[in-house]
Amino acid sequence: MLERAIQIDNVHVDYPVAGQASRSVLNGISLQIESGEFVAIVGETGCGKSTLLRLILGEEKPTRGRLLLNGCERWQPDRHCGYVPQKYSLFPDKTVLDNVTFGPEVTAFGAWSGLRWIRPLQMRLFREEALRYLRHTGLDESDARKYPYQLSGGMQQRVAIAQALIMKPPILLMDEAFSALDSATRTGMQRLIKKLWRESGTTVVFVTHNTREAVCLGTRVIALAKNGDGNRGSSIALDLGVPDLDFDSEEIDIGKLVREVDRATARERPLVYN
Amino acid sequence: MLLPQLNISLDDLTLPSGRGSVTLAKRGTCFRSAASIALAIGLMASTPVRAATPSFTVGWSVYVGWNPYYYMAKSGILRKWAAKYGINIRVQRFDYAPSLDAFVAKNIDACAMTNMEALDMPAAAGVDTTAIIIGDYSNGNDAVIVRHNLTLAQIPGKQVMLVEKTVSQYLFERAMAINGLEQQIRQVHYLNTSDSDIASAFLTNQSKPVVVTWKPLVSQILKAKDVKVVFNSSQIPGEILDLLVVPSEVLNRADGSGQKFAKAITGAWYEVLKLMSVPGPASNKVLTDIAEASQDSLASYREQLATTHMFYTPQSAVDMASSAGVKKTMDLVRRFCFQHGLLGEKTKSVDDVAVQFPDGAVLGKPERIRFRFSTAYMQLAAQGKL
Amino acid sequence: MSFLRIHAQPGRTAIWTLSWSLFAAGIVLYFYVAQQRHRENPDDRVMPTIAQMVRGFSDAALKPAAEEEVQAASGSSLLARFRTSMLWTDTLASGRRFLISVALLFPAVLLGLHMAMFPVIGAFFLRFILFFDKIVALSLLPILFIAFGIDELSKIMLIVIGVTPTIILDTFNLTKSVPREQIVKGFTLGASDFSITYRIVFKQIWPRVLNSIRLNLKAVMLFLFAGEMIASTDGLAYRIALLRRHMGMDTIIPYVLWVALLLFLVDFAMNKLNHKLHPWFQER
Repeated sequence: MLERAIQIDNVHVDYPVAGQASRSVLNGISLQIESGEFVAIVGETGCGKSTLLRLILGEEKPTRGRLLLNGCERWQPDRHCGYVPQKYSLFPDKTVLDNVTFGPEVTAFGAWSGLRWIRPLQMRLFREEALRYLRHTGLDESDARKYPYQLSGGMQQRVAIAQALIMKPPILLMDEAFSALDSATRTGMQRLIKKLWRESGTTVVFVTHNTREAVCLGTRVIALAKNGDGNRGSSIALDLGVPDLDFDSEEIDIGKLVREVDRATARERPLVYN
Repeated sequence: MLLPQLNISLDDLTLPSGRGSVTLAKRGTCFRSAASIALAIGLMASTPVRAATPSFTVGWSVYVGWNPYYYMAKSGILRKWAAKYGINIRVQRFDYAPSLDAFVAKNIDACAMTNMEALDMPAAAGVDTTAIIIGDYSNGNDAVIVRHNLTLAQIPGKQVMLVEKTVSQYLFERAMAINGLEQQIRQVHYLNTSDSDIASAFLTNQSKPVVVTWKPLVSQILKAKDVKVVFNSSQIPGEILDLLVVPSEVLNRADGSGQKFAKAITGAWYEVLKLMSVPGPASNKVLTDIAEASQDSLASYREQLATTHMFYTPQSAVDMASSAGVKKTMDLVRRFCFQHGLLGEKTKSVDDVAVQFPDGAVLGKPERIRFRFSTAYMQLAAQGKL
Repeated sequence: MSFLRIHAQPGRTAIWTLSWSLFAAGIVLYFYVAQQRHRENPDDRVMPTIAQMVRGFSDAALKPAAEEEVQAASGSSLLARFRTSMLWTDTLASGRRFLISVALLFPAVLLGLHMAMFPVIGAFFLRFILFFDKIVALSLLPILFIAFGIDELSKIMLIVIGVTPTIILDTFNLTKSVPREQIVKGFTLGASDFSITYRIVFKQIWPRVLNSIRLNLKAVMLFLFAGEMIASTDGLAYRIALLRRHMGMDTIIPYVLWVALLLFLVDFAMNKLNHKLHPWFQER
C-alpha cells in the first residue's frame, strides 16, 4: 500500500512555561499530504507555521498526536526532507560546488568525508552531477568556484535548492525561502521552483507568510489561523485546493483567492471548506 | 566572543603567601617597575609646589629592623620631633623593591634599605646617597637551608633556590668563600625564585635541596622536617647592614631644612629604640605595637629580634660605622656587586662607584663618591644634642 | 569643525599623521624627560637615553649569554653572535614555553566544540568550567608546585589553567552561535553527528577561534611572565626580573619592546594566515 508523503493526525504542540499552564502552539492539527503535491502553508507571524515545519523536519516532536512521513515516525532531521531555509542556507566556508557536493560526499563516505580527496574518481562524478544541478537552477561554472558571500541573495537560494535537490529527497521543505529577496528576484525564483517541481515530481511543502505567493505556487494552500483564546494554538483554518497556476495566465482571479485566504486566516474559528 | 577577556596587570601578579604579603616583603622583588616609572614620570612632570613648612617623606618596608618607623609615626613620637625642628615628616610603607624605585626616582626623601641595595640601586644609578642611621645588622635573619643534612661542599652541581642578585646570593657566596669553596660557586645552578613564593616552592619540591632566604620565611621553612640551616648571617656579622639613607643633595639644601630633617628623624629613631630596649616584659607594649606593622605577634617579633643585632644606642652605631670592619664589608659588597653586574653594564671599574666613610677614607675614585656613611647625626644623638 | 564629525573623511596623509602622532608624542616626551634627568644626574638609570638603550640592546643581542663562551664569540659573524646572545637564548626559552602552551590550547578548543554540540557533554562540563574560569590561577601556585613541581611543567600548567577556560568558553559560545539552520541542513543532507561537528560547525568557527586565541595571546604572555618571574633559570621575564635588581632599564625597555614586537608579529602573522587560509572569512 502506498503511504502518504505526510500524515499528521490530531497533533498538539505545547511549550512549557515556567510557573504557568503550558502554552499551546498547535492545537489538534490533522493534515494529509500526498506524494507529488505542492503544498503552500500560509499564516500570520506566530500562528505556528514554523512549528509545523519543524515537526515535519523532525526537529521537534508532537506533545500529543502522531506524525508520519511515508509511514515512519520522525526522530531527527534526515535525508527524507530536503531543506531550504530563509537564511543561513549555505555553508559559508565552502565554495558553491562544495556546498552542492557536500550531501553526496557525506552520504557516500560517512565520517571519512573529510578525506574525500582520496576518492578522486567518485568526487569527479559528484562534481559533474553538482554542476548539472547548478545549471538546472540557472547557475554556471564560473559561479561554482565562488563562496556564498560573493553571491546575491537570489543566487544563494538557487544554490541552496540545488544542494537540496541533488539528494533527491522525497519531500522538499522550503521555509520562507524567498522572503528575503526583492520582488523581481522572488518572481524568478518562484518560476524556477515551480519548474523544478514539475520536472522532479518531488513533494514540496512551502511555508510563507505571503498569501499571494502561497496561492500562486501551491496546488493546495493550508492557511493557519490563531485562535481567539490566546492560550490555544492554531489549527488549520482553511485547506484550499487551487489550480496549478501558470504565472502569466489570466484564467483565474488570483486576487479573489488571496482575499478569500486572508479572510480565512483572520477568522477566529476554523472554517470548514469543502 | 561574549566572554570578558583576561585583563591582568603586572601588579596583580605579586601575590601574598605564607603569613601575609607584608611580612614577606623585605628585599623582595615585586614587579612594579611599570607602575613606578609611570609614577616617576608623573611626578617629574608636575613641578613640586613647596609649602611654607618643608615636608619630607620617609619610605620603609616591612622588616624586623624597620618596623619601628611604623611605630614612630603611630605613637606621635615623630610628630613631636618634626615639630621641634619646624618641619613635616610623613612615613610611608612600600613593598621593598618599589621603595627603592621611588627613592632612585627621587620621589621620597629617605628610605630604609640594606648597604648592598644602597650601593647597587641609588648609588650606582648616580644618586649621591648618604646613610644617616645604621639601624641594625642581620645576625642570623638570613640563612642557607638544606635538606637531608647536605653540606656546603656538596652543593655545587645542585640547584639553589634564591632571589638572585640580592643579599641572599651574597650570603650564599660568602658562605662558600669562607669555607674555601669559592672556585666551586660557578658550578652552582641558581633558580631565581620570587620571595613571595619561595617558601611554598621549596617546601613542596623535594627535588630542590637548597634554599637561601630570610626571616620570617626561614622560620616557616624550618618547621618542616629534614631541613637545617648550614650557614646564616650571624657567621658574617655586620656585613648585611640595615640603613636609613637620604640623598646627599637633600642634606645639603641651602635652607638647612635637610639638616633639620636628618636631626628630627634620628632623634625620633633613638627615642623609639630606647623604648624597645627596655629589658623584660616592660617593653611588651611597645614591641606589640611595632609587631603590628607586619601583623606579627609579639612572640614572633621577639624571635626575629633575637637574630637581629639592633644598635639600640647611638654610640654603638657610631662605633660600628667608624670601625675597620665596615670598610672591609663595603669592599666585599662592592666587589660582589661589580662582579655580578649590579653596578650597571657600563660601570667599567669597581672604583667607579666610590664609598666614603665617616673618617673621610674613600673606597674607589675620590671624584666618584656616590655613597657616604655619615655619623654626624648619630653622634649628636649620642651626645644628647638633638 | 567638520573634521570632527562622524562624516569626516580624512585623507591618506591625515590618517597616517594622526595614527603615528601619539607614538611620536610618547617618544618625544620620554626623551625630553630622559634628557632632563641626565642633565641633573649623568648616571641616571631610571630613564635611559637612546644611546644607552641602543648599547643595552646590542649588548643583549650580541654578547654571549654565558661567560664561558666569550672566546668563541669574539670574531665570529653577527648572526653567530646573535645566536649565543642573552636575548636570543632568553627568547628561545620563553618561545618554547609559549608555543607548547598555545599548542595545548587546541584540546581546549575541541572540548568547547563538543560541549556546545553534544548536550550531555555540555551538561557535564559547563558549570564546572564556568566556575573554574573565575578562579585566579596565580593564587593556586602552591598547589601547582605540589602537582607539577617548579620546573617547566608548572609554568606551562599555569598558562594552561589560566587561559584554557576562556578558550573553552569562547569556543562554546562561538559554536552555539552557529545558526541552527546549518545543523538541520547538515542532517537533511545525510551528514552524521561527526561530519556535522567537524565538517560544518568546526570549519565555520575555526577562523573565529583563531581570532579568540589571538586575543588571548597577551594573557598567555602574562601568565608566562608571571611563571618565569616566580621561579626560573632562563627566559625573557627571568632576565627582566634580574635586571630590575640593579635598575637595568637600559636593557629592560628594549627587552619589553622586543617582546611587544614579537607578540605583534605573531598576532599579525596569525591574522594574515587566517585570512589566507580562509578566504571566505570576512570579519577582520
